[in-house]
Amino acid sequence: MASSNVADVRPNRKGSAFQSFRQLVDSVIDACEPIVEWMIRLSGWSAIVFVLAIFAFVFAQAFFVFENDSMIPSLWTKLDFVEFFTSVKWRPTSVVREQYGIVALLAGTGAVTVTSMLIAVPLGLGAAVYVSEFCHGKTKETLKIIIELLAAIPSVVWGFIGVAVLGPLIIDVTGSPIGVNVLNASLILALMSVPVIVSVGEDSLKAVPDSYREAAEALGASKWEVVYRVLFPAAKNGLLAAVLLGVGRAIGETMAVLMASGHKAQIPGGLLDPARTLTATIAAEMGEAPRGGDHYRVLFLIGIVLFALTFLVNLIADVVVKGIKGKQNG
Amino acid sequence: MVPHIEFDNVTVKYGSHVALDQISLTVPPKSIIGIIGPANSGKTTFLKCINRTIDFIDTAKVEGNVRVSGDDVRSLRNVYELRRRIGMVFPLPVGLPLSVYENVAYAPRRSGMHNRHDLDQLVEKCLQQAMLWDEVKDRLHTLGTKLSGGQQQRLTLARALSHRPEILCLDEFSIAIDPVTTMKIEDVLLELKNEMTIVLVTNLVQQAHRLADQTAFFNQSKLVEIGDTEKIFTEPENKLTYEYVTGGFG
Amino acid sequence: MADANRSQAGCYVVHSAEKGTAGPNFQRFPTMEEAVSAVAGQGSFNGHQQPSNLTKSNNSLVIAHLSNEQSDASQCRPRHRFYVDTHLLGSGGDGTERDPWPDVPTAAKHILSMAGDGKLNLRPNEQIVIESRKMFTATRLEKKKMRSQRIAKGVFFCMTLSLVIPVFAILGYLFVQAWPALSWDFVTLNPKRMGTEGGIWAPLVGTFFLVLMSLLMAAPVGVMAGVYLNEYAKDNWFNRIINLAVVNLAGVPSIVHALFGLGAFVLAAGMGKSLLAASLTLSVMTLPVIITSTREALAAVPKSFREACWNMGATKWQTIRTIVLPNSISGILTGVILQVARAAGETAPIIFTGAAIFLPVEDNGVGYWLPYTLKSEVMALSMHLYTLREQINNAPLAMQYGTAVVLIGLVLSVNSVSIALRVYLRSRKKW
Repeated sequence: MASSNVADVRPNRKGSAFQSFRQLVDSVIDACEPIVEWMIRLSGWSAIVFVLAIFAFVFAQAFFVFENDSMIPSLWTKLDFVEFFTSVKWRPTSVVREQYGIVALLAGTGAVTVTSMLIAVPLGLGAAVYVSEFCHGKTKETLKIIIELLAAIPSVVWGFIGVAVLGPLIIDVTGSPIGVNVLNASLILALMSVPVIVSVGEDSLKAVPDSYREAAEALGASKWEVVYRVLFPAAKNGLLAAVLLGVGRAIGETMAVLMASGHKAQIPGGLLDPARTLTATIAAEMGEAPRGGDHYRVLFLIGIVLFALTFLVNLIADVVVKGIKGKQNG
Repeated sequence: MVPHIEFDNVTVKYGSHVALDQISLTVPPKSIIGIIGPANSGKTTFLKCINRTIDFIDTAKVEGNVRVSGDDVRSLRNVYELRRRIGMVFPLPVGLPLSVYENVAYAPRRSGMHNRHDLDQLVEKCLQQAMLWDEVKDRLHTLGTKLSGGQQQRLTLARALSHRPEILCLDEFSIAIDPVTTMKIEDVLLELKNEMTIVLVTNLVQQAHRLADQTAFFNQSKLVEIGDTEKIFTEPENKLTYEYVTGGFG
Repeated sequence: MADANRSQAGCYVVHSAEKGTAGPNFQRFPTMEEAVSAVAGQGSFNGHQQPSNLTKSNNSLVIAHLSNEQSDASQCRPRHRFYVDTHLLGSGGDGTERDPWPDVPTAAKHILSMAGDGKLNLRPNEQIVIESRKMFTATRLEKKKMRSQRIAKGVFFCMTLSLVIPVFAILGYLFVQAWPALSWDFVTLNPKRMGTEGGIWAPLVGTFFLVLMSLLMAAPVGVMAGVYLNEYAKDNWFNRIINLAVVNLAGVPSIVHALFGLGAFVLAAGMGKSLLAASLTLSVMTLPVIITSTREALAAVPKSFREACWNMGATKWQTIRTIVLPNSISGILTGVILQVARAAGETAPIIFTGAAIFLPVEDNGVGYWLPYTLKSEVMALSMHLYTLREQINNAPLAMQYGTAVVLIGLVLSVNSVSIALRVYLRSRKKW
């Protein structure tokens, strides 16, 4: 503000109508305080409600049959749990005998998840270290933004990339008859879960106090030694959490694996075999399964299995992260 | 005469750590009480008990009674009214991310003062009392957080005065201010004594000597001694007090 | 002395390695002790230069153990290296590069005593080098470390590149493949014949509707929940459970959200497959991330601001309204906008809850701009891409790529807005 005395008076002289309006708004907002606080509280509690509701509704669809607006608990006519958890045969539409064994699906999920993590974890942690420790200023900002944008690409687009771009490439390079297989899905999933690993990993490296680095460098350690001997041990919980969150994302991913994995219910024998995951099965078959039928309800049951799996992974990740925080405070 | 502030056997615990141990003292109206003592002796906790901002520390547990003008602060229904009656300045300067003007006008606005003319006058008066007016009168609409540390500290003081408190609590207010300004503010405090009770926590022993009517010495969460300032500084009863005020403490 | 006895077998040479001078600048000694003494200037040394100190041009001394009379000192391997720095003050030092001796006589004295203790066992064809340390130059160890650091940086850089380059390559490839299809008509025309002809207008509008509706529901609840967790929640078991719930809600796979949406909204609430059910499902899915980002934005506002307000008698809500929210709104918005991008790209949660494979949409009038009602099914861009690729056999490739590029463009531009907002607001941070 250039001319002083005028400048500090002028903004004060706003219209009196505006003044009284603002006064009114202020007092109305302040009067709403109890209502607002209760809304805030209720919203806060909603997270629990939703988690419980998700479980309850998926559970209800799996274990109850709805007739005339009333829920009737009902067991399957053709499914037994032993078969569900131990059989390799997933034949929901077989005319002779429907079989619902999820072992092959679990194997598919496992194969795709493990392979993708084998690619994503070293690359992701390496990139996290590079972004966090080896570059500064503009480069760092740019890389972080690129990785953030990488995370934004929708899963259906990744799936499309897998089918349309990566598939033909895999056929050309490996000579495999089909391009949509475990390798394809794993590569796609790796690229999808890398941003999570990088950003959480970078956060946990950033959380290591600078005094650690300074102390190590004052002792003459090179940057690499600082990373290897100081940062990795100090940030190991955070890095583990980063990996677990990547695993969680890989297990839960649907559209990309549906499109890129080949979707064949078998235990994959190698990287070039097609596979089928739990998530993809639900997405592909829910539309055709008759409502209330065994197939339909088994798909919900798979949903519960998935819910439990990811819940477990996230719980461990959370406990691990809390572990670092607790240590830092204490 | 009802004492303005009265601590009756007050004990504060943070978890298992005892921050104040059975403190009892009274402060008469329109006087300055100096609180001196080494670090970690419970001085700041003492202030937090007066305006009940101790409530915001989850682990804190308060026993005993703190009375302001005879009312137990814990039985008050409107704690915000209590806090408006007490001005509080903490050692680290905090400029709110508002303009200098709005920083000072914040509390009056919250208590329903919206007339622009009155606000202008109040802001000017408070800033003058805090010895800040001359430096910021040309830039009342810059951000309070962009002022220098010493200026922000005086802004905090102006804010504490803005709701016309009847008790002013100052916690080592002069840490970030240069000596000349400190002396000027001390003069203002002596003037303000005619309007309000001042609780002055300080680690400058001589500041307490210069300003306070009575002085209390805290050590290790305990009130070691309280008495007229002259007595504390010339012939204290406790050996620790003597060592502390003469600089031989430790 | 065993060491001295053994050393008589060989022949010791003091070699002053002066650059640029040819000719013998060395002398032979029968024992190491004599050689070292000569270095110290005590014994006899009749070379060109008395090597009692090292100069710039003559910056190293060598005591070599030759296996026979003819062998060359320059072919011996250095076994021990010691350093001398005359610029150094004080008399300490242990001869290492880090802590050198102050001058050559001191060096000789220490080497003698070390040899006496049997610490220097010079085998034939090995030598002791005494070098002058240059000031402020990297020591050998440091040079080695810098090399390993460069390698490490290179490796990590390659790892980062291997993530970034394929993505750019793929995106570029998609764009090139999509180029024939991309036109203004492609965006503004409705799909025809199950999407094999025409454009992508109807799915685009559908995506817009879904995102807007889900945002209207998720943003207020999410932001308020974030405010609750950061401002109101005390650290007790109940709020720890809420935190856990938020974390796990964020980790629930999108297909499970779809099952939930099907069970809760489509069936139990009787909404049927509809825009409303799909948006509700999306909003439940985006909720936890809005909560988390809101929380982070609020936590970035220093606690001292709140305390200052409380000390002035402001209530909690007044403090939040006047200080906390205005200073964290940028972070909150960033999080909300990111969720817009995520909701726009999601397919799985809307497959069973409201997305249609194909819907006939009017080409003109109100029906063109508002083709869907709350009760009707919608087309969505993400679903449309899935349909074109997997459900329909004869969709032209360029249209598939075109749809993918538009979807990516949409999502990335929304993200860019969020990033730009963040960068801009960070540049005018208020404290």
